[in-house]
Amino acid sequence: MSTSMMSAVIAQKNQKNNNIKKGLAILLGLLSVLAFFLPYMQFVFKNTTYVVSGFQLATIKGFRVIGPELSGLVTIPLLTRISVTLGILLAIAGIVLLLCGKPALAGIAYILSGITPMIVLISTSSIQEAVTQLNISRISIDYLWPSIYVLVGGIICSVLSLWTQGTEKLAESIFLVFSCVSVGSVILITVYIFAAGAPAIIQIGLGQFLFGTQWNAEANLFGILPLILSSIAGTIGAILIGVPIGILTAVFLAETAKPQVARLVHPAVELLAGIPSVIYGFFGMLVIVPTIRDFPPFKDNTIGDSLLAAIIILAIMVLPTIVSVTETSLKAVPQAYREASLALGATQTTTIFKVSIPAARSGILAGAILGVGRAIGETMAVIMVAGNVANMPSLLGTVRLLTTGIAMEMSYASGLHREALFAIGLVLFVFIMIVNISFTYISKRGVQMDAE
Amino acid sequence: MPSSSLYGKKRRTTDTVLKVLINGAAAITVVTLLGIICYILFNGLPYISWRFISTSYSETNDELKGILPMIINTMYIVVITLLISAPIGISSAIYLTQYAKQGKLVRAIRFTTEVLSGIPSIIFGLFGYTVFCILFRLQTSILAGCLTMSICILPTIIRTTEESLLSVPGAYKEGAMALGAGKLRVVMGIVLPCAMPGVLTAVILAMGRIVGESAALLFTSGLSYNMPKGFWSQIFASGRTLTLHLYQTAREAASPDAMHIAYATAAVLLILVFLLNRLAGLLSRMLRKG
Repeated sequence: MSTSMMSAVIAQKNQKNNNIKKGLAILLGLLSVLAFFLPYMQFVFKNTTYVVSGFQLATIKGFRVIGPELSGLVTIPLLTRISVTLGILLAIAGIVLLLCGKPALAGIAYILSGITPMIVLISTSSIQEAVTQLNISRISIDYLWPSIYVLVGGIICSVLSLWTQGTEKLAESIFLVFSCVSVGSVILITVYIFAAGAPAIIQIGLGQFLFGTQWNAEANLFGILPLILSSIAGTIGAILIGVPIGILTAVFLAETAKPQVARLVHPAVELLAGIPSVIYGFFGMLVIVPTIRDFPPFKDNTIGDSLLAAIIILAIMVLPTIVSVTETSLKAVPQAYREASLALGATQTTTIFKVSIPAARSGILAGAILGVGRAIGETMAVIMVAGNVANMPSLLGTVRLLTTGIAMEMSYASGLHREALFAIGLVLFVFIMIVNISFTYISKRGVQMDAE
Repeated sequence: MPSSSLYGKKRRTTDTVLKVLINGAAAITVVTLLGIICYILFNGLPYISWRFISTSYSETNDELKGILPMIINTMYIVVITLLISAPIGISSAIYLTQYAKQGKLVRAIRFTTEVLSGIPSIIFGLFGYTVFCILFRLQTSILAGCLTMSICILPTIIRTTEESLLSVPGAYKEGAMALGAGKLRVVMGIVLPCAMPGVLTAVILAMGRIVGESAALLFTSGLSYNMPKGFWSQIFASGRTLTLHLYQTAREAASPDAMHIAYATAAVLLILVFLLNRLAGLLSRMLRKG
């Protein structure tokens, strides 16, 4: 009797709590509807200030701006209008859904309404560009409290309306939203890298851009064939040196070394992975480059900064990746394979090279591909040793790779030149994606093969 | 395990050669590492002094060649990035290991995490520059750098946390559930505390990554070496980290004095990374012992 009474009391209390949350969510939602009619943004041109409410942003055409040389109508971007309107509609939808007893959907509507100020923020950049074209350089676009409230209020309302379903549901939704961040960022990165890189490629012409052999920003010549070839040459060189050493080191760690020795070497490999790339570059600049410059056979035809220096540095940098992936896959080879081979009279080295390594080959291949990805993408170490002149690759000559091409000129480039640098980024991104996807494919196939 | 065949009589030359190659490769790896570390420390340590760490930097004034602003900027970036990225990464790992059912969404999350870890930092730099600096109008600022870095380190945090969450014995969870605890209480009260050393390892690994990062910060947080003027305003100001300082001073060094600064900065960086690395190793050993 008493337990059922107690549970009734608890249920009543929960109901009361839920009503408070629901009421708060509706109230705050109404506030964010109200916020659209309050001053939303403030545009300060040279000597005039416009304070615009969300409602006005959605309805008026634009501002008449009088510049020093030109004057004209600066239109408000369509996306801005749409997202401001969507913000208010979604907030209303949230309130209605909550009243209809659909808290999950209401939560989604609220959070989407909270995102709209971000889209407004992004889309109003084009106002800035339009004004700059009218020769007005001094403009500031400020956000007033109501627009920030829409953002914060949207999130709070969303949390409150999900909370009415209980803490468990709320926690799960929050974890879910956070774990979608990585999906969202990959999509955003892909979209923006393409959006920033494609215009220059279209303007220059894909063939001209990829296969042009001249890179000269002053003469408007943007051919990146030397950069692509140098990147490929550097990567292949690094892999040719790094993979054998890496695999053998992994064999040492996983198969032949005494446990005490392995316990010392293993952290060394980890530390090698942790050293910042700038330090590798610094070391290369001060040790490897002078060594190449003063090495008797090379002495007359190199200044030291060269493809060879880049290859050596990259080989050192891909080592830890290859070692750790190979070691993991060697350790995954069943001990019975080795025992069987030894029982047949094979020596330890024969066992390693005829049994263990073939059994782990998909893992080793995956490690090599991961190393390729590292080598193509490395920037700061290479920039300090490669000389950075856009020559066709030769072992002892100065070279510029895709990555260093971007980093070298980004700080002062403008116009088509800058867009061309973004286009290099796009080419690099495509390379990396191909490498990445083949890595995922191969490591997945390896798992399947092991399962069979 | 016998390394020669029966009775130790026959020794094959190929065996010996391959053995030498294996040991040689391991020796090359270790010697390279030791070479780099010794070279940097040997040349850098003599120039590290309290004065070097505690004064500000100026390109023109010879009296002011310290790295205090860079240390402060690096700390800003580490702390803010972790504040953004650690909750997101740990929540993702919790979702992936404790809540998610196998399906399209989970596959998408895993795939994108893998893709993110393969994207080179210069691409993150370009992305951060177009999105955070230009579209969000943050200019080159510490905050833009932090936002860029938080995407950069997300895979590190997710993966390491995931591993440590998976290593918590299922019996603990079942025990708690049998006592009537809800899922959230099981996760927050049992699984997460048990996996804490692993989570901390993830955070420290991420710290090491942030301290060592340079290409992603080159365009986003900029190269200004001014002393911070205010606690909050510094977040919106441009500032170079230790790595970028090393890069810039090494490239511009014209005199031996300037090279000393680069050496000393490199040594400071190396010591920092080494300490973080050791700390992470220590914690993961703690986790393994339970």
